[in-house]
Amino acid sequence: MGVLVQQLLNVAQLGAVYALIALGYSMVYGIIRLINFAHGDIFMLGGFIGLLIGVRLPWLPVYVMMPLAMILTALAGVLVERVAYRRLRNANRMSVVITTLGVGIFLENLVRLTVGPETRQIRSGMPTASVAWLQGHLGVYVTWDKVLIILVSFSLMAILWLVVNRTLVGTAMRAVADNKDVVPLMGVNLNLIIAGTFAIGSALAAAGGIFYGQAYALDPYMGIDLGWKAFIAAVIGGIGSIEGAVLGSFLLAGVEVATVAYLSSNLKNGIAFGLLILLLLVWPWGIMGKPGMRKV
Amino acid sequence: MGRIKFPIVCAAALAVSLGLQLAVDGGVFPDVLNPYYLHLLTIIGMNIILVASLNLLNGYLGEFALGHAGFMAVGAYTAALLATRVLPAAADLPPVVGPFCILVATLGGAMAAAALVGWLVGLLTFKTVGDYLAIITLGFNMIIVNAIQNLDFVGGPRGFTGIPKNTSFFAVAVCAVVTLAVLRNLIQSSFGRVWVSIRENAIAAELMGVAVNRAKNQVFTLAAAFAGLAGGLWAQNQQFITPRSFDYIKTTEILVMLYLGGMASLSGSILGVVAYTVLMEVLRNLLSAFAPQLTEWRMLISPLILILIMLTRQYGLMGNREWAWLRKAP
Repeated sequence: MGVLVQQLLNVAQLGAVYALIALGYSMVYGIIRLINFAHGDIFMLGGFIGLLIGVRLPWLPVYVMMPLAMILTALAGVLVERVAYRRLRNANRMSVVITTLGVGIFLENLVRLTVGPETRQIRSGMPTASVAWLQGHLGVYVTWDKVLIILVSFSLMAILWLVVNRTLVGTAMRAVADNKDVVPLMGVNLNLIIAGTFAIGSALAAAGGIFYGQAYALDPYMGIDLGWKAFIAAVIGGIGSIEGAVLGSFLLAGVEVATVAYLSSNLKNGIAFGLLILLLLVWPWGIMGKPGMRKV
Repeated sequence: MGRIKFPIVCAAALAVSLGLQLAVDGGVFPDVLNPYYLHLLTIIGMNIILVASLNLLNGYLGEFALGHAGFMAVGAYTAALLATRVLPAAADLPPVVGPFCILVATLGGAMAAAALVGWLVGLLTFKTVGDYLAIITLGFNMIIVNAIQNLDFVGGPRGFTGIPKNTSFFAVAVCAVVTLAVLRNLIQSSFGRVWVSIRENAIAAELMGVAVNRAKNQVFTLAAAFAGLAGGLWAQNQQFITPRSFDYIKTTEILVMLYLGGMASLSGSILGVVAYTVLMEVLRNLLSAFAPQLTEWRMLISPLILILIMLTRQYGLMGNREWAWLRKAP
């Protein structure tokens, strides 16, 4: 029983991090049909910005450090969109994709050369006394980090859901996703909506990066691996759908944790991807995705 | 003055590469013709095979495949296994003929194994298009790398050591020229027309009687076979391979060279590989001339150059165009 609860907690923690990244992928894809391969590196950048704030301003509490890092990363995401993607908005899709790959390589090397290639961890400063008590009484190893990651991630996702489904900005976003040629004619500022989408996606990724840095470790190249996984999670859930991105992330995390717990950690990627490919062959548009139309 | 003919260019390229190989082996002009430049040329040759074969899928067929390094891994490990475990050592065979037979057998095995895997992947990915195809091919790349990591008899994550050095720069040049010749003739044959018709409009092609799925699988198999060839050459040139060198970072590098050169253009594939490799080396030398610790910063400059090229030339350097000698006479 204890083992199962422990594994479920691990799934929730890993899935929450994946979901925070996958949401950014999914929102950008939903709005401008762009696979932003640099998004994993924005996640990494967010983690490192959090780390640097923590190192330089150690007296800053976590609940100030985190929003600050999220805002800075959101600015970075908007900057990337402005400089590299905006001019290619109506271009051939392949050249946009290669530009996102280029931005990703640039960010990785920027962090590696300025911060250093070694892996770092973000100190969380959460109390640890209750951890031992819980482990003694319930047999479950729960740190406050874990609780915080799960709670904050879910709150952020809930806020995002409300923004997209209940506000005017969200309505504009959904309208742009539906038809980005007609909506500007209705007086919606397309550039602002797209920049806003990038900002939200990057801020969520930064939160994911900080949590990941607290729970595991940060290194300049982690964005590639986690970015791909979050992207695949978004596709499994049905890319463009918020609920789908969250669902796909927890599914991927579940498969991964189960493989590590019951088979072998070496098989983690292989089995996870094998199962997900099978799933995609059954559900070609993802679990929550809408079937695309074939134009004749 | 007539048009420059393709066979003449190929023959000239082969003659020059044989000359280079002999000059470096013989130690003529060691200042200019040194093993470092020959190594660079070898890498360029192997990358031309990889990029040109991926161009079949991404450029001519118009699919978005992201798993090319996986096929390369299959070829590399097959060739390494054949060379170390199955075939006799080159020393036991007569000179010149023996190494040649070994090279043909290992590379043939590598191509066959990679083609088989490519055919299976193609069979499974039939149903999906666009971004979904990208995910599935990427997933296969990861699965192949992960599977090799878990196979202990090929070294697992530690890598495969002790592969005999069966290839030379000249062998790579011959393979690159053969690849280009095969691809050029296929692309300009009725097969190639079918692929381009699928890229332009799959439904219209289907209505015109094209067996779309069969044609797609042909391209998958073909592209995988040539990636396997490059893998076989790579394994027997480096003499040491690890699963990590075939993961999506390698795939990204191949993609960058492909898009830099331009889609649906064999000239672009050659130009992209040469431009990327030369650019990286020039940056390395330039920066280390200023200060040795700056060498690493080329990793920051090269993606910026790539972004700049994409912003100014969306279709890459040669997109959809072809040098005259690579075109077939009308």
